[in-house]
Amino acid sequence: MTRLASFEQSEGKKSTAIGTYFKSDYIWKEIIKSVIYATLTFFIVIALYICYDFEFIMEDIYSMDLMAFGKKVLFDYFLLVMIYGVITFVIYSLRYTRARRNLRRYYNNLRRLHQMYRKEDEALGRD
Amino acid sequence: MTRLLMIREQIKNFVNKFDTFVYPVAKALLALTTFLMINGAIGHVPVLMKAPIVLILAIICSFLPTNFIIILDAVMILLHLYAISLECVIVVGCLLLIMFLLYFRFSPKDTILFLLTPLLHIMGIPYVAALSAGLVSGIGSAVSICCSTIIFCVLDYISKNTETIKAMASDQMIEKFRVLLDVVIKNKEMMVLVVAFAVTIIIVNIIRRLPADHAWTVAIIAGALVDIVVVLAGDLKFGTYISIPGLILGSFVAVLVVIVIKFFIFNVDYGRTEHVQFEDDEYVYFVKAVPKNTVTIPEKKVRTIKASTMEEEEYEEIDDVPEYKVKRAGGSGAGNKSATKRIILPKDNEFDVERHATRKDSAGLTAIEREAAQKAKEARRNRS
Repeated sequence: MTRLASFEQSEGKKSTAIGTYFKSDYIWKEIIKSVIYATLTFFIVIALYICYDFEFIMEDIYSMDLMAFGKKVLFDYFLLVMIYGVITFVIYSLRYTRARRNLRRYYNNLRRLHQMYRKEDEALGRD
Repeated sequence: MTRLLMIREQIKNFVNKFDTFVYPVAKALLALTTFLMINGAIGHVPVLMKAPIVLILAIICSFLPTNFIIILDAVMILLHLYAISLECVIVVGCLLLIMFLLYFRFSPKDTILFLLTPLLHIMGIPYVAALSAGLVSGIGSAVSICCSTIIFCVLDYISKNTETIKAMASDQMIEKFRVLLDVVIKNKEMMVLVVAFAVTIIIVNIIRRLPADHAWTVAIIAGALVDIVVVLAGDLKFGTYISIPGLILGSFVAVLVVIVIKFFIFNVDYGRTEHVQFEDDEYVYFVKAVPKNTVTIPEKKVRTIKASTMEEEEYEEIDDVPEYKVKRAGGSGAGNKSATKRIILPKDNEFDVERHATRKDSAGLTAIEREAAQKAKEARRNRS
């Protein structure tokens, strides 16, 4: 009973919130968030790069191959999003599996506690 | 050793007993320390450097989640940097934002490591962070330590070059950006430290998880040696100016500090290791049980006996003594009669605990084996 109460107060809240989703829905939700964060990060990095090399970019902008530059930037963006998406997929898959296992253990213990109460009630009823 | 164990148990009991007060006070102290550190390094806003404001903010942090301390630290840093130059705010703000967006959604539990690392840098023992993170946390905490180190190096550079940055004209914005971003991109000392910490944390974490005896001690020593080797190798390759006596002394002090941390977290007696084997209907279990070094604190009861009522109190009834039914064997013609005996048990007797631990039940299992079998059954039930 103490273990059940302790679980409910600490890890149980997070596990219950995760357990309300299907695995695919949960992981896709987190991947979409990751794509948004990765996109924001990429924009910040591009902005810092432009600030760092502003003079050279201004000097070379008319002579550089803009298509090639654009392709490189897009390639880097998709690479960042893919790597971050894979990391997100792995981490949140593990978290979902762990949350479901904790919830299964919690419900098993609840069932045993319920059986104990029932036996106790039957014993009291007999007496 | 027993005395140290008793002190440890007393500290643990104290923290458990008063945890309602201890955790908020600890959070307030941590917040206060970080605020004072920030004010000392880059303090330029007079309002934020006033003692009552700092105290009020620290007290607010004691009631809020620990992650709020990082947010408040970030806001304070940006406000102080705004008083130095706008470019500092932009660069450091972007760095903090990248860290929050990419990393902190995965590891919000590494807050304390993130906050303590700059403090340890200031104290000259940053290697404590790497060794303790490898023992206490997982491999992912390497990212927290490295991010914290990067932020510290940038702020340290800004605090040492504040006048230079302020002296640069306002139309030299690009120059200022380049100077500040060079601290992140071209700072070889910072890169060497970051790589050394990451490698140390990974190695310490891998070694301490091994099932070998004394794995934690080996992990601490291996981590310290790896740290020294990687920093020295980086120093040779990149020609950085890392102080080698400081490195060795800092690593030595870090090992001592981490050994104290290990004493509190993981203190086992490998001399009393038991290898037990038992089976049930489906599996055969090979269990290695290593007992923890624990000591029970004896409860002190003080009884005052007054001399005037000595006769009355001589035979004091003790009500909480368990009664056992004992059969009388043999006797002078009386046969086997069951009789009730009062047995007064000694309190907190260590030898009773040891005897109980090795006593076998009717199934031939000791207490450790029974507990392991019970846990294995529960795990199987949960899996099915």
